[in-house]
Amino acid sequence: MPDKNVLILGGGVAGLSAALELARFDISVELVEKTGFPGGHAIQFSCKATDKCVKCGACVAEEKLENVTENPKIRLMRNTCVEKVTKSDRFSVTFQTGPEYIDPDKCNGCGVCLEKCPSAGAVMQGFSKHHTPFYAICAEKCLFIKDGSCNVCQEACPEGAIRLDQKPGDYACEADAIIVATGFTGFDPKDKPYGYKVFPNVITNLEAERMLRQQDILLRPSDNKPAERIAFIQCVGSRDASLNHLWCSKICCGSSLRMARRIKARGPETEITFFYIDVQTFGSDFQGVYEDIREEFRMIRAIPGDIFRTDDDRLQMAFLDSNTREPAEEIFDLVVLSAGLTPGKDTEHLAGLLGAELADTGFFSSSRDGIFLAGAARGPMSIAESVASAGNAAWETVKYLSEK
Amino acid sequence: MTDKTLVIGNGPCARSIAEALITQGAEVIVATKKDSADISSAEKVLSNTKLVSCQDSAGSFNILMNRNGEELSETVGNVVIAEEAVREPDFSSYELTPSPDVISLSRLTGLLSDGKSDELSGKKIVFLTGLAKESSPVILEDIMQSCLRLQSNFHAQTYILTKNLKVGGNGLEALYRTTREAGAVYVKFTDVMPEIRQEKDTGVALTFTDEITGEKLRLSPDITVVDERIFPSEDIAELAALLELDTDQNGFVQADNVHRISVLTNRKGIFAAGPSRSIHSPADQVTDAGNAVISVLKPEADQPETAAQVNKGLCVRCLTCYRVCPYRAIILNARPFVVPEACEQCGICTAECPAHAVTIKELTRDEISDQIIKGIPQKKETTTPFLVAFCCRRSAVRAKALASCMGHTLPRGLRIIEVPCAGGVSHEHIFSAFQNHADGVLVLTCHEGNCHSERGNIHARKRTDHISGILSETGFESERLLIRTLASNMAKEFADIVNGFEKTILDLGPSSLSQ
Ligand SMILES: Cc1cc2nc3c(=O)[nH]c(=O)nc-3n(C[C@H](O)[C@H](O)[C@H](O)COP(=O)(O)OP(=O)(O)OC[C@H]3O[C@@H](n4cnc5c(N)ncnc54)[C@H](O)[C@@H]3O)c2cc1C
Repeated sequence: MPDKNVLILGGGVAGLSAALELARFDISVELVEKTGFPGGHAIQFSCKATDKCVKCGACVAEEKLENVTENPKIRLMRNTCVEKVTKSDRFSVTFQTGPEYIDPDKCNGCGVCLEKCPSAGAVMQGFSKHHTPFYAICAEKCLFIKDGSCNVCQEACPEGAIRLDQKPGDYACEADAIIVATGFTGFDPKDKPYGYKVFPNVITNLEAERMLRQQDILLRPSDNKPAERIAFIQCVGSRDASLNHLWCSKICCGSSLRMARRIKARGPETEITFFYIDVQTFGSDFQGVYEDIREEFRMIRAIPGDIFRTDDDRLQMAFLDSNTREPAEEIFDLVVLSAGLTPGKDTEHLAGLLGAELADTGFFSSSRDGIFLAGAARGPMSIAESVASAGNAAWETVKYLSEK
Repeated sequence: MTDKTLVIGNGPCARSIAEALITQGAEVIVATKKDSADISSAEKVLSNTKLVSCQDSAGSFNILMNRNGEELSETVGNVVIAEEAVREPDFSSYELTPSPDVISLSRLTGLLSDGKSDELSGKKIVFLTGLAKESSPVILEDIMQSCLRLQSNFHAQTYILTKNLKVGGNGLEALYRTTREAGAVYVKFTDVMPEIRQEKDTGVALTFTDEITGEKLRLSPDITVVDERIFPSEDIAELAALLELDTDQNGFVQADNVHRISVLTNRKGIFAAGPSRSIHSPADQVTDAGNAVISVLKPEADQPETAAQVNKGLCVRCLTCYRVCPYRAIILNARPFVVPEACEQCGICTAECPAHAVTIKELTRDEISDQIIKGIPQKKETTTPFLVAFCCRRSAVRAKALASCMGHTLPRGLRIIEVPCAGGVSHEHIFSAFQNHADGVLVLTCHEGNCHSERGNIHARKRTDHISGILSETGFESERLLIRTLASNMAKEFADIVNGFEKTILDLGPSSLSQ
């Protein structure tokens, strides 16, 4: 179908997979990613293999991204957001692009910008070799963008690749169909009583994934020391009626338990405790895995109450011991919150632009009229399910185009 | 090449695949062991039909089938396995015997759909799920849907006794809440399971301590419903064996390998969809059907020019290549022949062939030696060891690239030799590295269970172990040869491995072969 053009919104593992499937049909694909780093969440994850692969699927994102960057039928646009969609026979879509603060052609990836930046988080490092440039400026944290008070990175860049006064541009395209693959947003646990963003050693599962990917070990952010006693708290922001989040995020048990097993495999003396409601099945050998984890970890069926910081900078947690049915307390070095999957930040806005429907959960509900859905934009799902969902969306698209 | 597709199965998944392919103008043959087939629109619908054999490879499979004792042969381009799984109630795990008041989940759903309401009206019904073996969201969904109907339409009182409530499926947490609002009672167990007794006259009695209140409770249900295990049918096992497909630890078609996501198998042109590849909900089956259709409609572009080739003059017909090919891309004519369309160029056959009769262009000894020689440091300083790392393209090569991006310092004398799969790294390649002045040789391969060629990493390990043995016998330091596993996203580990290895080699000093 060389005369067809499909727009895919979202460059996570779902968007990347859908693009690759369509390209095999000789369809031209515009793959539009909002951030500077395509690959979505999964590109930030660590490999959780112990000595064997545990099928977490994180490496799949890496492979898909590589295949997309090499595919001549796919045009991957970074830093791009939809502004307007009109539909007549085809879709006409306009976008805002950039600002592209770092020139990908000039950046040599030396990392001086990150080294010199005084504002934490204002210069972000990529996660993949296919993140070109390998660095990006976070507009919310950059002091130049805030009040013009700093341009250290621009001065320091040996290649002159940084231009902090860049303005956004625009872009337009025509598409025969649209695939929405805008994924999810991790739940922000700041309103839960766990001291997230107050105590540095309370981190989210996503932060733990990134840390393992970059450093191969979980260190306490407060002192960069390895954590000896780690607690994982499951279902943070999932299965939570008080938030009206009436869904299980499906992947957190698998992701956190696999992370924990990896940590334990490298540091057998690490003590790991799991606070959970129900352990969800993951992987095809779950029965065996479940029996093993009950040996390896302390599994406590309770959702803890508040967390306090002790004088020696550890974390004290209160919970109801399910064995004694009495209140109990424990002290940990590091707490990982399994923050659940919630609808993508701009899902509602996007649904408005596209005239798409949302389910009660706030995720996209169903495909229609040339707009198809792929991946976690539909609701919590794993990488493998996202790839499958993208394959199916590609099929729906091909069918739609062939009937048009 | 033929466009014909053989779809094996008769369930909803097989049906939607066949129907979708037909709308796209594909020629479809449906075969099922069942005595009637529900798919009428296909070119050919073969009921009572069993696969007998499958010859040849991707692009044109020669299939022999048996239909009611009559032999049929067909040549097809693709095969899709979309058989249904089977369910078996787990009575014995609960030490229960089926009886009118101890029934399986399927029996209950059957009663509900047949409208046999009298048997259920106003009854106290207990569901046992996942207490003995971990259950699945597919089963839980059936249980909850049944509960909802029983509570709302039949004034029954339902209890669900479980260990881990498997709400990890679409909409199941919401459904769980709805059933609770409708009056269903959930009791969860963590370490101590309920005591279950079945008496001839009085029926089933369950005693347990409620984990939340500590109360001792006793339940005497009118009907006890036992959950089911979902597993591949014997047909699936038979098909997998006939078609030489890898299976997972439960016997489902398709190895548990991320490279097979979502409907791929170890053989090009053969796909596994829906309940034949794992436990699937109805929605998952629709997704799989779409994937099977799109895979059949547009097969991957082939790269036959780089496929393995058998040199007739050298081949001694030992059939090693035929046995080791993970993709079943080698067929036997007068001698082994590599079907280019089916070959994935992993190189396992080239490395295993004792007669050096199988070759892949980029993996020949000369080709690899050239690359090694190009890497020899110009002025060989005694302080920089020359390290040759054979790296799998899918894992270690990517990890190396990422390590460089992330600014990890890597040994100066490190030479990366990219290979399609570490299973293709032969004795010759490793010896060539040592002969060409390598002070140390690394083989970096994928984790077990993550190899695209399924067993390439295992072959690589066997070979390096063997060579290490030989090296030690000759008095050469076997520490100079190291094999490690990695994934593409393990940049830090890559750096740690190669830097650690450099240190080992520095401590050993230059290789006696490299002077
Ligand atoms: C901590 C954590 C650990 C996990 N671990 C695992 C695991 O081990 N195994 C597993 O299988 N799954 C795991 N998951 C789930 C996994 O992250 C998802 O399955 C996967 O990321 C879904 O891919 P996606 O492409 O649908 O969405 P995403 O990964 O969210 O990607 C969506 C992309 O769309 C972009 N986007 C958003 N809005 C727009 C817009 N308006 N325009 C353009 N682009 C937009 C985003 O920037 C992003 O790049 C984990 C999830 C979390 C949170």
